[in-house]
Amino acid sequence: MSGSNVWSRSREKIRLFSELFAQCSGEAAAYGKCVAATTTGRQELKKDMCAKEFEALKTCFTNAGKKRAK
Amino acid sequence: MSSGACVRVLPTSAGWRQVTSSCRRLPAGPSSDPRRGLSSPGSGTVNVFNREMKKRQKNWAASLQDSHQYDYLRDEVSSRVADRIYDVARTFPLALDIGAGKSHIAGHLSKEMVERLFLTDISEASLKQRKLSEIPTHCVLADEEFLPFKENTFDLVVSSLRWVVHVAILSQIHQVLKPDGVFIGAMVGGETLYELRCSLQLAETEREGGFSPHISPYTAVTDLGNLLGQAGFSMLTVDVDDVQVHYPGIMEVMTDLQGMGESNCAWNRRPLLHRDTVLAAAALYKGGGGDGSIPATFQILYMIGWKPHESQAKPAKRGSATVSFVDLSKIGQPSHSHQS
Repeated sequence: MSGSNVWSRSREKIRLFSELFAQCSGEAAAYGKCVAATTTGRQELKKDMCAKEFEALKTCFTNAGKKRAK
Repeated sequence: MSSGACVRVLPTSAGWRQVTSSCRRLPAGPSSDPRRGLSSPGSGTVNVFNREMKKRQKNWAASLQDSHQYDYLRDEVSSRVADRIYDVARTFPLALDIGAGKSHIAGHLSKEMVERLFLTDISEASLKQRKLSEIPTHCVLADEEFLPFKENTFDLVVSSLRWVVHVAILSQIHQVLKPDGVFIGAMVGGETLYELRCSLQLAETEREGGFSPHISPYTAVTDLGNLLGQAGFSMLTVDVDDVQVHYPGIMEVMTDLQGMGESNCAWNRRPLLHRDTVLAAAALYKGGGGDGSIPATFQILYMIGWKPHESQAKPAKRGSATVSFVDLSKIGQPSHSHQS
């Protein structure tokens, strides 16, 4: 395999993941706290229980990606 | 030293003709039914993993340019297994290394410990890259669950870091061991990768409403004694070692596991992992260090089991005691009637 192909592009994205993720530690912590709160309480963890926090995390992550691409 | 192909490498001296003929028991390869059950006396059929897929994963991992950078865990565990072999004060004329990979254990052995070594692995690419050792070795390409050896052949069977162990494999090992032979091995225990497992589980539940197993279940310490006993081993020794490796992030954990050739190959695995779920799992991964690194735990279980033989010490018969527990209190004092 030579040149840029699907495999090398997705491996590159995987490698950049940690770098981009590190820029969103605040949102990640908030999401983590939300999920931890549901698991310790009476209620079970259900789908989209922390959707708001996750959306904030995802927006931060995609913005970090866009900024890097510039 | 010999090449990695099966059967052709075995010497043709009279003593080994039996081994050659039993090689025909090997499964035929890609044409064999992948869903064959694995049965052995005393246990039901076990067919959880796609062995064909595991062979492809191992071959891929061994053929990577920088495959040696994923060897750290196996090298560490292999050196500890070699330590245990050294502790047994015997020289083993013939030994077998199951799932040898790049023969990590052989590099730590010396001629005083083992005189001749057989390496088996499911992946030809790994065997081709094996490290050199001063001990004469032979390579056999075989699935560890179907060992092509006659009964009572080996004095020592070793295994460096198995990720999957069930009674069928242990029974096979028990069969090929000579009486008074020993099996020394290492495998991953129940707590391994629990951070990864929990974070993926929570993330998948929150993002997708349910979760599927991405990490195969590992043996608990308490079950290991039962497994070994069921397979027929006696004088068991099991000890646990927790190895914590720190990674920059969850992606590196998964990439390294893939590089080790230990990706999931269970039949019931889900082929898809949403990127949202991975992002959520990265946020939920617990135990981050101050410098942003995350720990991954590998719980390694080391086991030693012997094949029964008359020369081994047995529990004494009831009623054969010559000293009473009451005399324990008199041990510190000089006594005329104390029997030695």
